[in-house]
Amino acid sequence: MAENGSVQGATIYAVEEYSVHEEPYYLPIGDEVQLFETAYRQRIPVLLKGPTGAGKTRFVEYMAYRLGRPMMKVSSRTGEEVEHRMPLITVACHEDLTASDLVGRYLLDTDGTRWVDGPLTRAVKVGAICYLDEVVEARKDTTVLIHPLTDYRRLLPIEKLGQVIEAADGFLLVISYNPGYQSALKDLKHSTRQRFIAIEFNYPPRDAEAQIIAHESGCDDRTAMDLARLGEKVRNLKEHGLGEGVSTRLLVYAGRLIAQGIPARRACQVAITWALTDDSEVQRSIEEVVTSIFE
Amino acid sequence: MPVSIVTELLARHQERLSGFPAPLGQQFEAGLRALANRLTPSQLQAWAETGVELTALSLRSWEAAVEYFRAGANYPPQATWDAIETIGRDALQMAAESAPLAVSFLRAAPGAMEAIGPANIHAWAELGRRLYKGNWKSSSLAAQFYEVAPELFRVLRIGQASRLIIFIDELARHSYELASACLASAPAVLARLDEDDRLPFITFATELAQTSWADSRLYFDRGVPLIEKVHSALRERFLLLAAQAARGHHQRSAYQYFEDAANALGEVDPNDHQQVIMLAEQLAPYSPFAAMDFLTAMPTVLQRIRIDELEAWQQAGLRILQASAEGGEAYFRLQSTRAEDILENLSSRVELSRVGEVLRLYCKALTGRNVSIQTAESLAEKGIGWVDEHRASTDGTTIFLPELMERFPNKEDNFAAMKVFATHQAAHIEFGSFQFEFDRPGAVFPTRRHAFVRDRERPATTDMEAFFDLFPDRQLASDLFTIAEDARIDARVKDEYGGIRRHLVRMQAEELERRPPVEMMPLRNAFVENLVRASLDGLHLVRWPRDRAEAMSRALGILTALQAPGATVEDAAEAALALYEIAVSIPNIHDDVDPGSWDAVEPMEAGQAMPMEAAGEGGAQGSQAQLGGAGEGEEEYESPQEIDFRGDFKPELVDLLMKLRENAQGGQAGQQQTMPLTPEQLAELLAKSVEIDLDAMDEGDLDASTGMFLSNLMKEAGTPASEKGDQGGQPTSDNSTGEGEGEEPLKPIVTVYYYDEWDFRAQDYKPRWCAVKEAKLEEGDDGFYEKALKEHAGLVAQTRKQFELMKPEMFRKIKRLPDGEDFDLDSAIEWMVEKRAGANPTEKIYWRRNKIERDVAVAFLIDMSASTDEEINKRDKKYDDDDYDDDPRKYLSWWVSKRRQELTSPPKRIIDLEKESTVLLMTALETIGDQYGIYGFSGYGRDNVEFFVIKDFDETLDQKIKNRLDKITPIRSTRMGPAIRHATFKLMQTDAKVKILFLLSDGRPQDHGYGRDRTEKEYAIHDTKQALNEAKREGITPFALTVDRAGHDYLKTMCEDMGYEVVADIESLPSRLPTLYRRLTE
Repeated sequence: MAENGSVQGATIYAVEEYSVHEEPYYLPIGDEVQLFETAYRQRIPVLLKGPTGAGKTRFVEYMAYRLGRPMMKVSSRTGEEVEHRMPLITVACHEDLTASDLVGRYLLDTDGTRWVDGPLTRAVKVGAICYLDEVVEARKDTTVLIHPLTDYRRLLPIEKLGQVIEAADGFLLVISYNPGYQSALKDLKHSTRQRFIAIEFNYPPRDAEAQIIAHESGCDDRTAMDLARLGEKVRNLKEHGLGEGVSTRLLVYAGRLIAQGIPARRACQVAITWALTDDSEVQRSIEEVVTSIFE
Repeated sequence: MPVSIVTELLARHQERLSGFPAPLGQQFEAGLRALANRLTPSQLQAWAETGVELTALSLRSWEAAVEYFRAGANYPPQATWDAIETIGRDALQMAAESAPLAVSFLRAAPGAMEAIGPANIHAWAELGRRLYKGNWKSSSLAAQFYEVAPELFRVLRIGQASRLIIFIDELARHSYELASACLASAPAVLARLDEDDRLPFITFATELAQTSWADSRLYFDRGVPLIEKVHSALRERFLLLAAQAARGHHQRSAYQYFEDAANALGEVDPNDHQQVIMLAEQLAPYSPFAAMDFLTAMPTVLQRIRIDELEAWQQAGLRILQASAEGGEAYFRLQSTRAEDILENLSSRVELSRVGEVLRLYCKALTGRNVSIQTAESLAEKGIGWVDEHRASTDGTTIFLPELMERFPNKEDNFAAMKVFATHQAAHIEFGSFQFEFDRPGAVFPTRRHAFVRDRERPATTDMEAFFDLFPDRQLASDLFTIAEDARIDARVKDEYGGIRRHLVRMQAEELERRPPVEMMPLRNAFVENLVRASLDGLHLVRWPRDRAEAMSRALGILTALQAPGATVEDAAEAALALYEIAVSIPNIHDDVDPGSWDAVEPMEAGQAMPMEAAGEGGAQGSQAQLGGAGEGEEEYESPQEIDFRGDFKPELVDLLMKLRENAQGGQAGQQQTMPLTPEQLAELLAKSVEIDLDAMDEGDLDASTGMFLSNLMKEAGTPASEKGDQGGQPTSDNSTGEGEGEEPLKPIVTVYYYDEWDFRAQDYKPRWCAVKEAKLEEGDDGFYEKALKEHAGLVAQTRKQFELMKPEMFRKIKRLPDGEDFDLDSAIEWMVEKRAGANPTEKIYWRRNKIERDVAVAFLIDMSASTDEEINKRDKKYDDDDYDDDPRKYLSWWVSKRRQELTSPPKRIIDLEKESTVLLMTALETIGDQYGIYGFSGYGRDNVEFFVIKDFDETLDQKIKNRLDKITPIRSTRMGPAIRHATFKLMQTDAKVKILFLLSDGRPQDHGYGRDRTEKEYAIHDTKQALNEAKREGITPFALTVDRAGHDYLKTMCEDMGYEVVADIESLPSRLPTLYRRLTE
């Protein structure tokens, strides 16, 4: 069933067959690349902490690409030697995500029911990196699955099938969480968080961020610098009117608009000011920062 | 011949007159003789006969006759016979009614004749007679009128006098004393007015007499100076407006309107009166009150908008007025949000109070620090060294800005100017103006300052002090450092903030235009002035003697080098040092060379201008380099003219303040030991510093003001100032950290919040109308809570059980879903059966556990008004009385037992039951785990709505809160609206999904000024309803519970579609309340 196909221009993959084909742009800020590589070699699960839009997902993609690059030889069912890329399965967690959403469930079929593996099961089977984004949002029963997978056992119990799967060699669990906005209720439990090494992500320093913006958006260096400066200033407002600082992603959006000829002030208004808050006073304040920086 | 007729008439009437006292005869003869030459014999005869006739009219009419005859001798030359005859006829009529009236009439007649002329005599007589009502008081009032005639008619014409009489007559209906007093003062009062204004003055008086007669006295006493405040050509129109207002009926007295409006006009430029009154006149046909209020509002309004913008504001109000008188009146009273908004839109000026929050966030964004924004005035008030109330500044943590900005004709420009001010101050913080470290090298300039360090007795307190200590002429050094640092900051701002560059350049250009002519200055001053110009991007405006060009060129080069992006505050210091060396090498004298030799100067290349590493070129000798000071025979150096947008820059003072603050916080761990500051050290430092002008701060002896200043400074830094310097040896930090808080008196902290109030007549909010004062309720006895629990033990157990049952399951299984955790077996079988049968089965065969989170926050608002003091038994007394009517003994025994009961437990009041119910509810809430806050409210008037916190949302139930419960007592009135609004605000702070506002009261809302008068109920009810609606709009469920049996009538209006309940049997409240709450949240 997992045939790669193409419907109206979009490429369709089975979850376990998706891998990052082209090298994603990622600008290392510290030693995170080395850390992750080492952790992967040791099969130590990784927790990525940081605010939204700071590059956590991009980092995982980048690492998946890097780790897949040495073209590990793998015999597929056909016995051919194919270029192996590190499969990456990303699951965005939400508050209704239950264990069975991850493991799999019976679906109805014409003649009865049929078992379908969930994304986590697939990752375990093929040895992919499974990235659970915003893991604290998920229901607590998911921790039942995470725990045996993240210690020495590397087991996934599938209760409904009465099976236990031993994870394939390449499998690694990576989770992310944003300590900023989750309420105390949704904090990660210690029994869970102490199974991971934690890499902290923060917004990159001004120069690095400008470089990222320039690369990602194609705007000129001066604009990129101004955007990075704006980002820094707006982040100063965090917790004093703003729940979360402006993400690099939004700055890149603004840069892309500017690069396409939208006037800078307008671009910042739609990509940053209005995107960040509905509070008119805070909006006005951000606007003043924007008009101070951009002509 | 005349003699003969005189003797003849004398003889003829001798007999008739002989029966009266002697003066009669004497006056008769005198009158005859005086008139004999002016009248014909027949006229004289008629005159005499009239007099004689007077004597016979009544017992005392002879007195009138005496006056009649006496008048004859006193008539002025222009008196005609017709007039004299008229007087006689009128006198006869009057004497028939009241002899004294006739007496005073006749006595005043000659004078009146002179004042109003013979033709008007009859009209005059008639006026007086109108006042006469046949009684003694009216007669004396009329008499008074006649008596004042000579003075009165000097200022009034007869036609005008008739209007005055209407007024006096009206007033006399209420009070003869008042009428008499006004009449007496009328001539003098009217004399002070212009002729044209007299009639309008009287017109308004008449209207006043009809509606609020008691104010007439005030009007007569104080009216004239008030009217004089109005432009003289417009007083008549103004008075007519006031008269129109007086004609209507309104709460405020017409006089009050008049007084307020006149005073207001007094504050407005008289040239604008024409326009203002014209606009008021347009309002008058719709509501004269609105017109008067419009005038009264003028000083406030014209402060914010220009006179040519006034019409737009008035027109907007007029449209509202045409639609609704109440709305329009509120508008012009400035008690309407719309009025404020329109005013704000029209106004071109920018008020700090309105943009402060935006600027605060803006500056916070720029600096990354928690800066606050305050007015420059508040900084000056602190008395810590800043004296100018209008100049921007910063003390490192707060940015101070002028309260108003109105230098440009439109709002955008004014705001931009304010922003430039704020940006400059924020940039000082952002780019480290106050982070100067003496030992840190700069990024651009070589470090030379160490070469100039002299031996000192003690180490400098601050790095800034150490730096300025290098210079003999501290003022010059300070000025140069300021110029250098400001130049650096402006350059950084332009570099980093491209968007504000345009406005900054504009401000700089404006400042440049304002600079004083440099050619007139002594050389050193001119040098500094040129630096200022250059720092404002005004290189082209630098003028300097050609033969000295090199020094200036070097200085300009230094300044340019400082504007490089990487420059730091230490570079500014180095630049100041280099500039100082150049400055002292220039004598401060007037260069006598002809002004034509002054020319523009090009700055030197940065590399060339830069001073050498080792030491300055001037006085450097060996390792101990010296800096010069002012030379002999020079003019005194003066600081350059201030630059507006840069404000006050006081690096030394800020440095000190930061140091003090650091000390107050006990210094940071890991930092070098903070040095304790002794007051002596401080005093020395302050005496040195040129940034503080102690004389300017306070007149009086220097020591006292220094002391005051020091204690202010300490206070500002959070260090308690020591009285006698006893902390000399001890570190200040020890003193300040712990004890400062411990000494704090246990007075509750009151926070004031402002809320709008809904005016249902105007259909608009009155902006910031009510002040809600929030404070924690004091703690009372600690036994109350337990006692209440014990008393209602049964109920407590029952309630707790009920609420425990409500405790939600964390998950609830929901079946028949299209998607879920697993199959629901029943549905799956059904599906299979239907499928096999060939039907089209439903896909909904899954189940899932849904999380049911009980996430409730409730605010209880308890009425603590005085009416809750009522005893409950009293309400029921009438039933008791009936029962024992027949049997006195039975009654007696009942009474005795009741008394005994009352002695052991005092009768319960409504408030007691409210309290007990609250206790029960609290146990219930604790059981179920909802967030809750308990608040009480009371107060008196709109400025004083008391809001007591018994338990805030974020507090947990502890002994303190239990004790507070005991202190719930009846206090004053019930202004529900603002209390509800504040409770809403409290609820909005919580993040619960379900928010409930529970109002527990004993009657209708009522407060002083909560409605047109004491008896009006609609206003209060509408405002309360509006407040409840607002809460609902925020997603809060309001619920009102009252123990007032008559509650249905107003609760129906107040709560319309919201929940409410009237608990008729108050004793059931403790059991009812938890039940109600349970129902509400299930």
